Amino acid sequence: MAEIRVEDVHFHYTPGVPVLRGISLTITPGTVAIIGQNGAGKSTFVRLLNGLLKPVRGRVLVDGVDTRTVSVATLARTVGLVFQNPSDQLFRSRVLDEVMFGPLNLKLPADQARARAREALRQVGLEGVEDKNPYDLGLAERKLVTVAGVLAMDTPVVVLDEPTIAQDRDGVRRLGEVVAWLKARGRTVITITHDMDFVARYFERVLVFQAGQVLADGTAGEIFTRPEVLKAAGLEPPQITQLGLRLGLSVPVLTVEEFVAAITGGR
Amino acid sequence: MNRLRLSLYVPGNTWVHRLDPVTKLIMAVVAVTLVFLLPGFGAAVALLAVSLGVLAAGGVLRRSVPVFAGVLVIALTFVVVQGLVYPGNQHPALTLGPITFYREGLLLGLRLTLRLFNILAATLVLILLTSPADLVESLVRRGVSPRFGYVLVSVLQIIPNMAAAAGTIMDAQRSRGMETEGSLWTRLRAFIPLMGPLVTSSLIATEERALALEVRGFSGNRKPTFLHEEVIPPYAWVIRALYLTALILAIAGRWMGWL
Amino acid sequence: MAVIEVENLRYRYPQQTEPALDGISFTVEPGEFIGIIGPNRAGKSTLCQALVGLVPHFYQGSIGGRVVVAGLDVHRHPVSEVCRRVGLVFQSPFTQMSGAKFTVYDEVAFGLEHQGVPRDEMIRRIDHVLHLLGLWEVRDRNPFALSGGQMQRLAVASVLALQPQVLVLDEPTSQLDPAGTSEVFTAVTDLCRQGMTVVMAEHKVERLAERADRILVLHRGKCIAYGPPREVFSREDLPGLGVAIPPVTEACRRLGWRLPDGTYPVTVEEAVKIGGAARGGNPG
Repeated sequence: MAEIRVEDVHFHYTPGVPVLRGISLTITPGTVAIIGQNGAGKSTFVRLLNGLLKPVRGRVLVDGVDTRTVSVATLARTVGLVFQNPSDQLFRSRVLDEVMFGPLNLKLPADQARARAREALRQVGLEGVEDKNPYDLGLAERKLVTVAGVLAMDTPVVVLDEPTIAQDRDGVRRLGEVVAWLKARGRTVITITHDMDFVARYFERVLVFQAGQVLADGTAGEIFTRPEVLKAAGLEPPQITQLGLRLGLSVPVLTVEEFVAAITGGR
Repeated sequence: MNRLRLSLYVPGNTWVHRLDPVTKLIMAVVAVTLVFLLPGFGAAVALLAVSLGVLAAGGVLRRSVPVFAGVLVIALTFVVVQGLVYPGNQHPALTLGPITFYREGLLLGLRLTLRLFNILAATLVLILLTSPADLVESLVRRGVSPRFGYVLVSVLQIIPNMAAAAGTIMDAQRSRGMETEGSLWTRLRAFIPLMGPLVTSSLIATEERALALEVRGFSGNRKPTFLHEEVIPPYAWVIRALYLTALILAIAGRWMGWL
Repeated sequence: MAVIEVENLRYRYPQQTEPALDGISFTVEPGEFIGIIGPNRAGKSTLCQALVGLVPHFYQGSIGGRVVVAGLDVHRHPVSEVCRRVGLVFQSPFTQMSGAKFTVYDEVAFGLEHQGVPRDEMIRRIDHVLHLLGLWEVRDRNPFALSGGQMQRLAVASVLALQPQVLVLDEPTSQLDPAGTSEVFTAVTDLCRQGMTVVMAEHKVERLAERADRILVLHRGKCIAYGPPREVFSREDLPGLGVAIPPVTEACRRLGWRLPDGTYPVTVEEAVKIGGAARGGNPG
């Protein structure tokens, strides 16, 4: 549905202090997780995808359009970005109004915007709180409200910056279901996260960022079975994958289910 | 990261920087007081020379030029207006076509300009060459309440932080398709989505920060100690003595009618 | 002699009908590392704040039961007094920065200055905690110019410098990458070895399983389990209550890989031993 081409992108906030140092890749529909240490340039990178930041060298093309030539508000029709901290955006006193803000910005009629907002809230498992004040919800639920806010805009690309922070087991699972749902509809889902289990379970492609460059780009199975690459980026495989590697399983396992299947199937 | 700075302090390691904040506070206060005590033209020029000398020694003379230039614009209008319409105008000094400038008015304007520059130069010593945190700490050492000191210093950081937060909020809303460029109406409509989160998050942050300060012993009402030792270099006493002597002489002079 | 004694602690926030903490009792011995887990809204943060007296002193509300930490009856002493013996690190790193200090080094000094610690001692402690949490290189930076992860470590360092007998941490690694998380856990484990008592609320259960001495499980304000990690994570009822357990434990449970004492492994090491033996006997 949408294709993002990143061509030799360099970026800095202050000249002489590079944040991104030559990134080239293409993102097509599917699920992409960006992992790496704090300060590796992950958040900066996703802000270049929706035009909030413009490359100082190279270019970013969203469906063939250079991000330098269009406004962020226009790009928001294609690339939806959910910020890490919900208090950076929540401003309405009713959850439903908050979620309708994006669709209304896209000039949708109110009834249609409302319908989409209700659907998005259902997606993230928040039906029943439409009339509450977002600040009467816990941090984890507030974050889900912001996710719904972008889902309601129905963009071909959804970018989530650290969605699993503050989520408990059920919250992470709910987010995973959203990711899978978007993927099934041919969307692109990009996430930044430190939660390797979340990546292993729900994402096909993994980009390992290290000091402003892409250290590795491959499937979750490929990346997580290369401990040396992960170690260089200050990361480690999910616990269950580590166990699989230690036991010398012939296939990489990314989830508990895969592990159990590999063990019982191997017998 | 680009961070808005509220303090104009220019760090450095000159003898002016090494002076303790209280000495610099004395210098600034005395110089400003002298401006009003010393009526003469020569005295004003001398005083300005001293303050500029201190700024130069602190290596911030070039940095103060734009400030002086800005004030000069105001001062020039002063001079022009007084030259034209000062009631005491008697002696024509300059005639440009139908307009005549008078000596008395021009001189008065000049004197006001000097006064303005003097006040400016004296305060710049404090603003450009004294770290505000150090200044407040010096005052807390001398009995100013730590709470009051905290408020003064934290404002220096919290306001730039709010500006940074406003930037993030703007980005978050633009990412949701909000137009921020264009007509006045568009910009006005962007105001609430920007201010709402800013106010709410500031309120939340204030409560959380109050808790965090509490558990770090802030309200323990113990006598605080200080990480940084207050170093008062010996020459600071000489400078304090010079400035205070000048002040006493000027007061005495006014009192006795010498000046 | 227990360093933390909580007895039938009940607490309700003002204007709420449901209790946030509902009859919690447990004790902690000096030098223990206790992990608090449970789904959101189970009362983890409230319990953390109750250990230093912010609950109820700061929030008001109705409280019952008894909390004695480091020899102080928390309900009878002001927070400022309790905090000389008990440190608390909050979830959000940003709001824990004092805002009154312009460098990382000075930020750590903030609490020390207000507790009246002599200057030489202050410098010794600051140097120590900055090295301990890997912040020495950024000591001259402005605290607000740090990344979320660095700021989170600075928050821990600032409280550690106060040398509390008991350290309470409320999700101190939420913003940290795996390497930063390891640093915090290593620092905490070392401190326990030196006699400090640590209580940490955390979602990263596999880390707690590896390092904590005991795990306390909260669910809707009640303590539903308290014991060594293997014992707690082997309970059959946790997954059904929305409580996360380590993936290896989950896998071993499904495969029936038990340790000799009947519990399931909670770390990769333990699972490798059992799994290796199980597979060794029947090579695939």
